[in-house]
Amino acid sequence: MLIQQLVNGLTLGAVYTLIALSYSLVMGILGVLNLAIAELFMLGGYFGFAVVLAQLPLPLALIAGMAGAALVAAIIERIGYQPFRTAPVVTPMLSTLGFSIILQNIATNIWGSDPLQLTDEVFAERFDIGAVSISAIQLTVLGATIVLVALLAFLVQRTSIGRALRAVAENRDVARLLGVSAGRITLIAFMLSGSLAGAAGVLIGLHYAAITPYIGVEIGLKAIAVMVVGGTTRIWGALIAGPLMGVVEVMTVAYGGSQIRDFVVYGFMILILLLRPQGLLGGSRRNQDQRV
Amino acid sequence: MTSKSMSVLMAAGLMAAGATASGPAKAADAEIVLGAIVPSSGPFAEWGRTNTATLQMLEKQINDGGGINGAKLRILILDDATKPAQATNNLRKLAGDDHVLAVAGPLTSSAAEVTFPVANEMKVVSTSQASSKPGVAKLNRPWAFRNTIDEGVLGRTTVPYYKQAFGIKTVAIIFDAKDATAATVGGKIMPGLMKDNGIEVANANDPLSFNTGDLDVSAQVTKIKALNPDGVVVSADYSQAVTVIREMKRQGVIKPVVGSTQLISSAILKAAPEIPIVAPATFYASMSGDKPEKFVKELTPVLRKISGLPPEIEPSMYDANIYEIGSIYIEAIKKAGVTGKPEDLETDRTKIRDYMAKLAGFAGLGGPIGFNEDGDAIKAFYIVQGQNGAWQSKVRGCSAPDGKQGC
Amino acid sequence: MTMSMYYAGIFADVGILLLGALSVYIILSTGQLSLGNAGFMGIGAYLTSWLTVMVGLPLTPSLLIAAIVAGIIGVVVGFPALRLKGIYLAMATLGFGEMVRSFFLNFSAMGGPEGFHGMQHVSTGTIWIWAILVLVLVMVLETSQIWLEIRAVRDDETAAGLVGLNATSIKVGAFGFGAAVAAIAGGLFAHHHVYIEPGNFSFERSIDFVLAVILGGSTVAPGALAGAVILVVLPEYLRFLADWRFAAFGALLIGMLVVRRQGLLDRALLRLALPSSPA
Repeated sequence: MLIQQLVNGLTLGAVYTLIALSYSLVMGILGVLNLAIAELFMLGGYFGFAVVLAQLPLPLALIAGMAGAALVAAIIERIGYQPFRTAPVVTPMLSTLGFSIILQNIATNIWGSDPLQLTDEVFAERFDIGAVSISAIQLTVLGATIVLVALLAFLVQRTSIGRALRAVAENRDVARLLGVSAGRITLIAFMLSGSLAGAAGVLIGLHYAAITPYIGVEIGLKAIAVMVVGGTTRIWGALIAGPLMGVVEVMTVAYGGSQIRDFVVYGFMILILLLRPQGLLGGSRRNQDQRV
Repeated sequence: MTSKSMSVLMAAGLMAAGATASGPAKAADAEIVLGAIVPSSGPFAEWGRTNTATLQMLEKQINDGGGINGAKLRILILDDATKPAQATNNLRKLAGDDHVLAVAGPLTSSAAEVTFPVANEMKVVSTSQASSKPGVAKLNRPWAFRNTIDEGVLGRTTVPYYKQAFGIKTVAIIFDAKDATAATVGGKIMPGLMKDNGIEVANANDPLSFNTGDLDVSAQVTKIKALNPDGVVVSADYSQAVTVIREMKRQGVIKPVVGSTQLISSAILKAAPEIPIVAPATFYASMSGDKPEKFVKELTPVLRKISGLPPEIEPSMYDANIYEIGSIYIEAIKKAGVTGKPEDLETDRTKIRDYMAKLAGFAGLGGPIGFNEDGDAIKAFYIVQGQNGAWQSKVRGCSAPDGKQGC
Repeated sequence: MTMSMYYAGIFADVGILLLGALSVYIILSTGQLSLGNAGFMGIGAYLTSWLTVMVGLPLTPSLLIAAIVAGIIGVVVGFPALRLKGIYLAMATLGFGEMVRSFFLNFSAMGGPEGFHGMQHVSTGTIWIWAILVLVLVMVLETSQIWLEIRAVRDDETAAGLVGLNATSIKVGAFGFGAAVAAIAGGLFAHHHVYIEPGNFSFERSIDFVLAVILGGSTVAPGALAGAVILVVLPEYLRFLADWRFAAFGALLIGMLVVRRQGLLDRALLRLALPSSPA
């Protein structure tokens, strides 16, 4: 059973990693916690479901989820972030909270509060390797996480857009002096993080085959914890922290008891923070100053 | 948006709210006003919206039929947004400012726990259409009622049927730890019932639970799979139970499931049609009988016209319950000499309360209804089995205390 | 004239939220954002209820004891919090809040998920006496030496240290004081609703406190009052929007922040209203 639980933990961890990366993109570059990412994840799931339920091919579902979420992310950037560029970070965070509320309400009014379910599971074949059972969709989620993270790495490290993103993260004013259009870059950062969240929504939605307008809430909080444990200044921290937190959570349920799960998971997060206040891969302590 | 247009918007909003909040200043002085508290926004928005449609249908039916002793019926429905604090303020408003004769709702046990004391304080009847956590009305007599049956009572008929139908000797129990009703049923009531019926709880010293809103229960289901029980108790609201049952199907744990009234829905039938689900219900949409069939026939088209609800929606148990509550209030008003005049408000409310306390044999949708001294309903219930997309009634039970007829 | 029960209920909610918002404000004044004050509120609620119901103490000493105990826990939390900044601190406090909620969910001695009953109902007037007392206390503190030190620590910790201010005791003390105020909010909440369950003290509650402070004015104590009023009264006024109530609330929230990002009240506005208020 141990190996099976490890597989469960890694799958959960992949889920956390994808969403944590979305948070991390905006957090690392702009220092802002975009609380609406949980709802972009949720919307991605709904857009993906709409495509699948209309009997259209799966890649279209992924595109629909990513594009739809990116579009909404762009709206959030214009209205929820731009006016607050110079305000203390808690203000844009709360304005994204406002968007969270709006998006949950809209989703409830369009799709209802009951779970929307897929009649037939997608990629439902299971592979039994010894005592371990893993489904095709689970493998897809794991694989897609790796691919998306690799793509993101390539984008950030090797392309000019990535360079511009990193420049703005370092120092906005200097970046502008060097000809980087900060406004355009923040829009790109938001849309990129939105499309990542949307992709996560489609994949995870298809995996669990049932979504509600509120699936983003709990998972969003855990994903923020993952981002923090990984270190917000380095987006790869999420790659380590995601599987770590996923495995801790699953192992607690498997061997400690489900009742204490949240207690242990958040306790673990606090422990890591106390030992390494900037997160596992976080930069030097100097970098963590936020305007509160 | 400029601050000027903001202020205009707020002023307009305030004026509109003031107009709707100031209550009736209409010419018709013959009016009977009832109140209702439903969750029209938040995670249970669907229930609140179907409840609203059900009450509006009842209001129309009554008024089309000439009203109550000639007076027009008006049902004021307030949304509690699934927040208990708002439910209490709603009751205060309905009872104190709008002078309603009785209140239908609130829906959830969490809201009822804090709203029922206010009902007692303001001396107005409040009847919940869905709360089934044991003891909630009992603690708040005499003004609190529930048109539901205590889960402990229901379980006493559910579990023996489950055992006999599937030859159950061992079960694993998993419940939603964040939901008070689910946690009570899964943590206390079901273990006790299993013991009474000689069924071993395979995870007795290792309770399995999850939290409302969790997406992933793979760890818990893997443990259930390892225990290899004959059946699984899933104690959770159906929207969470769907998550568990789908995971069970994914991991190949195809065992019969048993639970409380919280499972009753059409959504759960879609989760894993091959897994049989046994639960108690006081109503389900495909019930046979003159009254339920007429109710479903009239309400279904109304529900399907509402935007934002799934196209295949059907009346739920909570819709049936709130329809019965409204109907009981109306009968109480007709038969107990309620005048509806403002100066008689206190005596009217007391008359309704006394009528309900003595109620027996009221023609509900599923059978006769009365209330016991705890304030919970004495009514017929049905142990239903859901499989391949439909509920089938297997056993008819009655929640009257042993030895007394009531259904 | 007796107040409508409905308004009395609304006022009670505002009073409790005011105390919660003040708890966040106090900690925020030292530059620390706490997203876990619902945890302190929960500790206060359960402890106060235990004292009045199981031990039989009257409300006032129960509230004070709970506040002191919560304050000590706040100080204990405040020390490790010194190592963290910004979002890391915020997340750690969030984690703390969730751990407290999880603890009470498992604490069957006081009901666990079934909740706890038995408290005596307390009037809106009592709630407001406490709320006003605490608000006045904070406002008085704001005129004192201590607040100048707090401001200094928030603005530049290094410089403050150089002029001999003990940033540690100020920051930790703020956590303790904030925790105590949140505990009082919790105790009054428990006795207003006469039933509590762990779900009452979730992240959503912590965020409500922060929202009230930011909307009402994060630089002055009466801002907490303005924010509490906005957060409780606005959803009631938006009822006419039925199914779109929440979306409208979210939109207005964003709108308010755009129009006036420092919150409704700030020092300039207060100076107009109260000429004797501090600079």
